[in-house]
Amino acid sequence: MPPKSKAATKPSKSLFPPTNPTTTTTTSIQTTSSSEPSTEPTTVLERSQQRYEKTRPFEAARQKQGGSSKLSKEDQKGWICDQLLHLTNRLPQASRSRLLGPKASKEIWWTINGTNSIDRGLTKKPKPHSTWGTDRNGHDVGSYTIERFDERIKKRTALTALLVSSRVFRENVEREKRGDLDARSGCPVIVTEREIDDERVRRSKMAALKKELYGEITGKLAGSVEWEDVVPIPHEEPEGALAAIAYPADYAEAMSYLRAVMATKEYSHRCLRLTQHIIAMNPAHYTVWLYRAACIFALKLSIPDEIEWLNEVALANLKNYQIWHHRHLLVEHYYPTIASDPEALAQFAKQERDFLIAILSEDTKNYHVWSYRSWLVGKLGMWEDQEELKSIEALIDEDVRNNSAWSHRFFLVFSNPEYSTPGKGATEADPKCPQHIVDREVQYAQQKTYLAPQNQSPWNYMRGVLVKGGQKLASVHAFVEEFVVKLGDETGEEIRSTHALDLLAEIYAEKGETEKADLCLRRLADKWDKIRAGYWNWRRQCLQSEKKAGPEQPGEEVTVA
Amino acid sequence: MATDDNTNTESQPVLGDQPSQVQFQQNEQQQPPPKSSLNQDEPEEEPYLDIPRHLRYWKMCIRAPLPHVYLSNESSRLALAYFIVNSITILTPPPSQRTADTPEPLISREDKKLMRKWVLHHQHPTGGFVGTSSMVFPLNGHNTYNSSGKEGTSEDEPEHHGLANISYTLFALQLLALLADEEDEDPEAAEKVFEGVNRKGTLRWLKSLQREDGSFGEALSDLPGYGRFIAGGYDMRYCYIATAIRWILRGDVREGDPGWVEDIDVERLRGYILSSQTYDRGFAGNSQDEAHAGYAYCAIAALTLLDQDDLDDPNFLLPPTPSDLLCCLDALTKEKGPQGAVEVAFNGRTNKTADTCYFWWVGGALANLGWLQGYDNDGEGPSNGQPPQKESLVDRASARRFLLTKMQHRIGGFGKSPGSPPDLYHSFFGLAVLGLLGHEGERDKLRRFDAGLAVPKDVVGVIEKARKRLVERDGLGKSEIDDGREGLVEMGLELRGGGGGGGERPKWLGECGY
Repeated sequence: MPPKSKAATKPSKSLFPPTNPTTTTTTSIQTTSSSEPSTEPTTVLERSQQRYEKTRPFEAARQKQGGSSKLSKEDQKGWICDQLLHLTNRLPQASRSRLLGPKASKEIWWTINGTNSIDRGLTKKPKPHSTWGTDRNGHDVGSYTIERFDERIKKRTALTALLVSSRVFRENVEREKRGDLDARSGCPVIVTEREIDDERVRRSKMAALKKELYGEITGKLAGSVEWEDVVPIPHEEPEGALAAIAYPADYAEAMSYLRAVMATKEYSHRCLRLTQHIIAMNPAHYTVWLYRAACIFALKLSIPDEIEWLNEVALANLKNYQIWHHRHLLVEHYYPTIASDPEALAQFAKQERDFLIAILSEDTKNYHVWSYRSWLVGKLGMWEDQEELKSIEALIDEDVRNNSAWSHRFFLVFSNPEYSTPGKGATEADPKCPQHIVDREVQYAQQKTYLAPQNQSPWNYMRGVLVKGGQKLASVHAFVEEFVVKLGDETGEEIRSTHALDLLAEIYAEKGETEKADLCLRRLADKWDKIRAGYWNWRRQCLQSEKKAGPEQPGEEVTVA
Repeated sequence: MATDDNTNTESQPVLGDQPSQVQFQQNEQQQPPPKSSLNQDEPEEEPYLDIPRHLRYWKMCIRAPLPHVYLSNESSRLALAYFIVNSITILTPPPSQRTADTPEPLISREDKKLMRKWVLHHQHPTGGFVGTSSMVFPLNGHNTYNSSGKEGTSEDEPEHHGLANISYTLFALQLLALLADEEDEDPEAAEKVFEGVNRKGTLRWLKSLQREDGSFGEALSDLPGYGRFIAGGYDMRYCYIATAIRWILRGDVREGDPGWVEDIDVERLRGYILSSQTYDRGFAGNSQDEAHAGYAYCAIAALTLLDQDDLDDPNFLLPPTPSDLLCCLDALTKEKGPQGAVEVAFNGRTNKTADTCYFWWVGGALANLGWLQGYDNDGEGPSNGQPPQKESLVDRASARRFLLTKMQHRIGGFGKSPGSPPDLYHSFFGLAVLGLLGHEGERDKLRRFDAGLAVPKDVVGVIEKARKRLVERDGLGKSEIDDGREGLVEMGLELRGGGGGGGERPKWLGECGY
């Protein structure tokens, strides 16, 4: 009874609507041994479906009719026998005979033998997609033609063979590591270079086959022998993610390996290569750069070699911030090894400057480069290095409006420990600053001002030098007047530089000539620099409030020194 | 999940099957107009911000994966998220101002909840946040602390602290506040936005990022042979960010108060900031570099956040001469365009060209000083109590005009310079500065923007409420990280028969942090 009841419940469970539109349906089977498939199968699915129908005629008929109750009495009996046979076939021999007595078995076989049904027939009806799965394009492998399918099977067999060989190789690698002895020869297991080469070839073949068969992309690292022992940690993003970026699979793979080596704090040559691989894709990843620095320091690698490599990367990524921080770390690390050797120091300074000149020629105002350069001057003590000043002058000659170069010049000249007080800010007067330096710099700025009077850089520079030197702004009064003709005269007024007028206002204020200062600012607001009228008018208000506050105060401001 | 699919399967920017794909395609067909003016048909009219157009731009940024060009920002996805969510918030009126015609907010209440969870996922166990979910440790349940015997590993300083980064910590906190559920009926909803933030841990970590000279680095790192080391350049940005994190989390606590955490060295930081003034009266990243408007903003905003009163005292900000401060503007305010044109743009350094983001860096610096007042400025916020003579030093209408006619892009968003395509960074800063400048009429009304914390003003209110709650909770000695576990402990105590509460707590519970 139990098998029967099982068999009886089964149909209701496995009732599903006819699924496959590609199947060519033949006329319904009325009797057990009727219609042979009329057409040659064109696809694998069809072939299997035909086989199924052929080997499971009762089941096929039941499905066509839409239920066992619609079958004839004979067919019903046949169907039950078929079900029992297939069910019991799955059981081990002993329990099979226990379940069905000899009599029942005999009857089943008698019924079945009268038909085409065979006990090794397909147990499940083949269905599209689920039976063979999909290929890399998402197509049902079942829809392949027989020839194409056979091709695929051949490739799968080839892949399996490669996988087995690869497995053997990996086991040998493990055995070599453990120092195992070869069972046959009794010698220690050694993985030869040739075997490694073979494995490389094998891996690339495997990657190609996997891609072709399943669309599985084997990353460069997953396929490499070098990363054999690392289990990558994939990136899992929780729900609600913002700012996802469509990035290449190579990047995702490399990051998953980086996470794995970072988790174990592995500092090795392969990690160094991994950071290089990631940096080539995303040079702005601060963690990767820090990890690279850690690898270099841990492995005690040559800093000049790293700097040479870095030069290439920097030239390819001009706007990058992390590259310069990395360089900074490298030089901090390298400096103590050459600090006591003046020749090596000078050589290194020259090398660095040559590179900085080269990269600045690509982008003369690159903030990161200039920032690194000023730091380097301090670090290597390049204050008295005439080449440094010369190269800045060359940049200003090339473009007198290059404010970055002006700024570096100010730093180079006025932060020189020879004649500056430590801790004095750039805006503070420094009594240690010698007069001849102040004069030289004021003169330099004035020369350059003539080239382009409306260029703000030398004006700012000159004013900065005067404040640094503790000098009155009035010391350049005559120079400033050259750029201001007939101030306040409606017809003849000619202003060659608004910056001159601005400085003139300050000079008058310094001298206590508030009315004249006010005139300068008023002309700036009304005519010469209307766009900043709000600022100039505000300066006028300040002038008035300073005047009310007392005559000494304006003078006090500039005589801080 | 969408992200993972894309990362695994493609090598080109895939816009996927997201709803906004259609818009991307449409936009590709629309080439930027030659002069990028949105109002060519009606040149007489004052330009205005086309809010629906900008919302469309942000809609495609929030839903579809960003194209491959953003790969260099993979380590700073929280920054991108901040630009996106902040912009959408600026463009979306608060619930009280919505009418029947107002479109549905781009970020639903349910989305906000999920996004907040995602942001919190970036928090490092010992405080601070990581810039990208691809660098969150410990990873996906992989135990990264199992390497026993490794040097430098102790309980309060787990390894991989180097991943938490000062910039992304600020972005994460701002995001949590920006993602507050404004429609929640519960009046306490705003207070809860920092639930889960490790306040004390983050503030302690922040302190550890300060260098001897008062400046801040961006991350802690272990360098073999050097040990613990503060990574990052000498950069005014980190100083500003440190003051913002401190402002957001620390609150007005004094030593001995329950919520007290050791503070950063404020005096040294001030000293560093002031010493970074340049000879041409701007600010640089440090004392030896070129003046840069971005750093001027950071320096001035940092001083604002450290103590708002300081900026009103000219002797504080620039000890040498008060006039230096005024002239710092000199380096900042720049015109662009033909002589006498009624458009004003800003650059970041002397003799450089204009750029949308400098509208923000310059405008924000001026606003912090009280020298940039929006049309609808009602005297709230940092500009409160400024002496009356401080008027707007920049012609707001001219600045607005340049931004709207030259920098705004036809597909929405702003480009870096006239005619350039929009990107997240410049599109956000364009909106931020318009939020500072105020609006012309009702049709381009934006949320008012805070120049110090770089979020809408109402979000500053949310931050203050949320901080208050965090400080109170820290005062009770409760950790917010394990809310669930804490609940269980309380339940256990109740079952144990404590009933009335208090007195019954076993001592060891306190040692475990409960």
